[in-house]
Amino acid sequence: MTIYTCGESFEEMMTCIYEAWAGRRGHANVKLQLEPVVQPELFCEYIPVGADAEKAQKVVRAIRQKISAEAYRQVFYAAMSCFPDRLEAIYRFLVLGFACGAGVTDMFSEAPVMRVLELSRKCGNETHYFREFTRFVCVDEKVYVAHIEPKCNITAMTARHFADRMPSEYWMIIDDNRRIAAVHPKNQPFYMTGLSAEEMQRLAEARRQNDLYTELWKEFFRSIGIAQRSNEKCQRSLMPLWYRKHVTEFLP
Amino acid sequence: MKVVSDISLQEKLHILADAAKYDVACTSSGVDRKGKEGYLGNSVSCGICHSFASDGRCISLLKILLTNHCIYDCKYCINRSSNDVVRTAFTPQEVCQLTIEFYKRNYIEGLFLSSGIWKSPAYTMEQICQTLYLLRTEYKFNGYIHVKAIPGAPGELLSAAGYLADRMSVNLELPTGEGLKKLAPNKSHKTILKPMRMITDTIAGHRLTIGKSAQMERSSSNRYLENSIFSAAQTGQQSSAVLQGSAGRQQIPGEVSSAAAETVIMPENPGTSGNFTLPAELRRRDWKRPFAPAGQSTQMIIGATPESDYHLLKTTQHLYQTYDLKRVFFSAYVPLNEDSALPALDTPAPLLREHRLYQADWLLRFYGFQADELLTIERPNFNEQLDPKCDWALRHLELFPVEINRAPYDMILRIPGIGPKSAMRIVQARRHGTLDFPHLKRIGVVLKRAHYFITCSGKMMYKTPIEEQYITRQLVGINQKENWQIMHQREQSFRQMSLFDDFQMQA
Repeated sequence: MTIYTCGESFEEMMTCIYEAWAGRRGHANVKLQLEPVVQPELFCEYIPVGADAEKAQKVVRAIRQKISAEAYRQVFYAAMSCFPDRLEAIYRFLVLGFACGAGVTDMFSEAPVMRVLELSRKCGNETHYFREFTRFVCVDEKVYVAHIEPKCNITAMTARHFADRMPSEYWMIIDDNRRIAAVHPKNQPFYMTGLSAEEMQRLAEARRQNDLYTELWKEFFRSIGIAQRSNEKCQRSLMPLWYRKHVTEFLP
Repeated sequence: MKVVSDISLQEKLHILADAAKYDVACTSSGVDRKGKEGYLGNSVSCGICHSFASDGRCISLLKILLTNHCIYDCKYCINRSSNDVVRTAFTPQEVCQLTIEFYKRNYIEGLFLSSGIWKSPAYTMEQICQTLYLLRTEYKFNGYIHVKAIPGAPGELLSAAGYLADRMSVNLELPTGEGLKKLAPNKSHKTILKPMRMITDTIAGHRLTIGKSAQMERSSSNRYLENSIFSAAQTGQQSSAVLQGSAGRQQIPGEVSSAAAETVIMPENPGTSGNFTLPAELRRRDWKRPFAPAGQSTQMIIGATPESDYHLLKTTQHLYQTYDLKRVFFSAYVPLNEDSALPALDTPAPLLREHRLYQADWLLRFYGFQADELLTIERPNFNEQLDPKCDWALRHLELFPVEINRAPYDMILRIPGIGPKSAMRIVQARRHGTLDFPHLKRIGVVLKRAHYFITCSGKMMYKTPIEEQYITRQLVGINQKENWQIMHQREQSFRQMSLFDDFQMQA
C-alpha cells in the first residue's frame, strides 16, 4: 500500500490527487491522507506531496470538463470541510466520476458520492450559518470587523456574500483559529491574507467595542421574544451554543 | 393614555418592538437581488435568519411599529385605543438610521415596518411611504423590506409602498367575518380584502409586463405534481377570474390592470391630507424597482374564535388560489387583554394546534395535498397525536406499501418521512441502480416513520402488518415526545445540577 500525504490547502490536495493518480499503482493500492500523520502504518510507503500550481490546475480543469461544474463545486466544498477523511473521499469520488461523467453527482447509492455530498453539505451549511451569525463591530466609525471561529474553512465563501452585500464599506472577517482574514476595502474586491501573532493581538483588542447600536440591538433582542411562548430548547437547536461565541446579543 | 414626548431612542425601540412582536411574518425570502456599488444591501431568495429569540422564533428583520398610537379598538390587540399604555412614534429618520446601522453590523436582513392606525389609515400609510422612500433613496438601502398595507388607505399610497418594498402584507386577522365583527369592530373583511385584491392584481400586472407569468413562482417540486393547489387546472379558472374581475370592477385609483401596467403614472398628491408628495422618481417610467417582487402574505389569529381547523385550512387554500399569496401565517392567540368576548387570561397559547396548521400549510404548498384530503366537515380538527401526513397515510393504507424503485414522484412525496428533497434524490438515484434501505437512510429519508409504508425491491424493512391499529400505535409512540415538547415548552425541564452555577462555588 502506498500512502500519499499532503497539507490542508486546496492546491496541495489537488496536487496530491494528481500524484496519486499519475503514480499508476492502481486505485486499490493507494490511500491519501492529510498531514500530520499521527500513527503511521506498518508495511506502507509514505510519499509526502508539496503544492504544485500547474498540477493542481490540471486536476481542477479535468474535473470541470470531464465531470461537471457541479462536481467541482462539491469537491471544493468537501475539501474546505473539517473531516479528516475528506481527501480520501474526494479521491474515491473522482475515480468514479472520471469513469461515469456528469451523472456521478446523482448516483446516491454509491458510498463515495454520498460521502462527498455529505461533506460538501456540511461545509455549505456552515457557510450559510456564518452568513447569518457573523457579527461586525464598528471600529473608528469606519471599519467593520468580525471575528469568527468556524469548524470548516469557510471565511472566503462567507466573505463573497458580504462583498456583494456591502460593496461600499471597509470591512474584514477574521478566522481566529486559522489566523486568516478576508479584507475588503471600499469599492474594491476583497482579498484573503494570513495574520501574524501581533496583528491578531491588536485585532483582539478591538473585539469588545460597544457603541450605541450594540446596546440598542440587545434591547431589541430582549423585547422581541414573547414570554408566554418562551422555548429555550428550540432556540438552542436552531442556534447552537458554539455559534454564539462572537454573537453580540449573547455577549455580556 | 400616556403620551410621552421626551423619551430616549432605546425606550422607543423597546416599546415599539414589544408592540410589534405578535406579528408572525419575519421571513426575508422570495427575492434574489444583487448588491450595487454605492448602495447597501442585497437580498437572497432563500432568506437569512440572523438570530433566534428566547421563544425560538427567528429574527430576520427589524420588526417594529412606526407608532403604537391607534384609533381602532380591536379586542385582542395590546395597542387598542382603550388600553392604557405608553404611546410613542419613531420619526422616519430614526427608523432609517436604525435599519442602516443594524444592517451594517449584520444583525438584520432588512426592515419589517408595521404601524398602529395614527389619525387615519391614509395618514399612517403616508408616514410609512415617506419612511420607505427616505430609506431607499437618501440612505441608499438595497436590502429587504416587508411593509404592512393599511386597509382603508388610498390605492396610490399602497402602490407607492409596493414599488418601494419587497413584500407587502395585509392581515386577515380572523378567518370569518363574524369573528372579525365581534373582536375588531373597526375592521371588516370587505375593507381587508380590497387592498389584498388590489395588490394581487398589481403584482400580476407588473409580472406580465416584464415577461413573467402572472402567477408567483412556487416551489419547483410543484412542477411534477398534477393535483397541487397551484396547478393550472386548479387555478386556471381563478386567475382568469382575477383578470376579468379587475377589468369588470370599478377601477380603484392606482390599480393596474395587466394591459395598463406599462403606462403606470401616479398622481402627484395621493394622500388625502396632501402632505406627502409622491416623489417624481416614483412616477417616472424608469423607476427600476419591481412591484412587491417577493409577493404578498397575510396572517390569521387562531384560538381566539371558535373556527375549526378545517375552516382555517380551507380559507388558507382559498387565499393561495385566488389571491396568489406567497405565505399564510398563523398566530396562536396569546391572551393580552381581559374581555368577555375573548378566552380567559390564563388560557395557554394553542401551540400544538398552530404547529399542526403549519404542517398542513406545508403539505398544501410543497406536497400536492388539497385541504379536503386532510380534513373534512365530519373530521374538522387535526389529530393531536399524529402529524397530518401520517394521519392521511393511515387513513389510506390501501395505497401502501409503496415500492421505492418504481413509484411515481408524487406518490413517493406522500410517504411520511420523505420530503421534496429526498423524494427528488430517490428519483435521480434509482436511474443508476436499485435502492435499498441503507441508501435511503443516507439520502435523508426518516426511516423510523417511512419504513411502515415502503418496500425496496419488494421487501419491507421489518415484518410489519399493514394494519391501521398497529401502525398508529407505533407512530404515536414516536410522535409523543415531540408533541409533549411543543405543549410543555415553557416548563423548565430537568437538568444536571452544577456546583458552580447553582451553588456559586469557585473553582
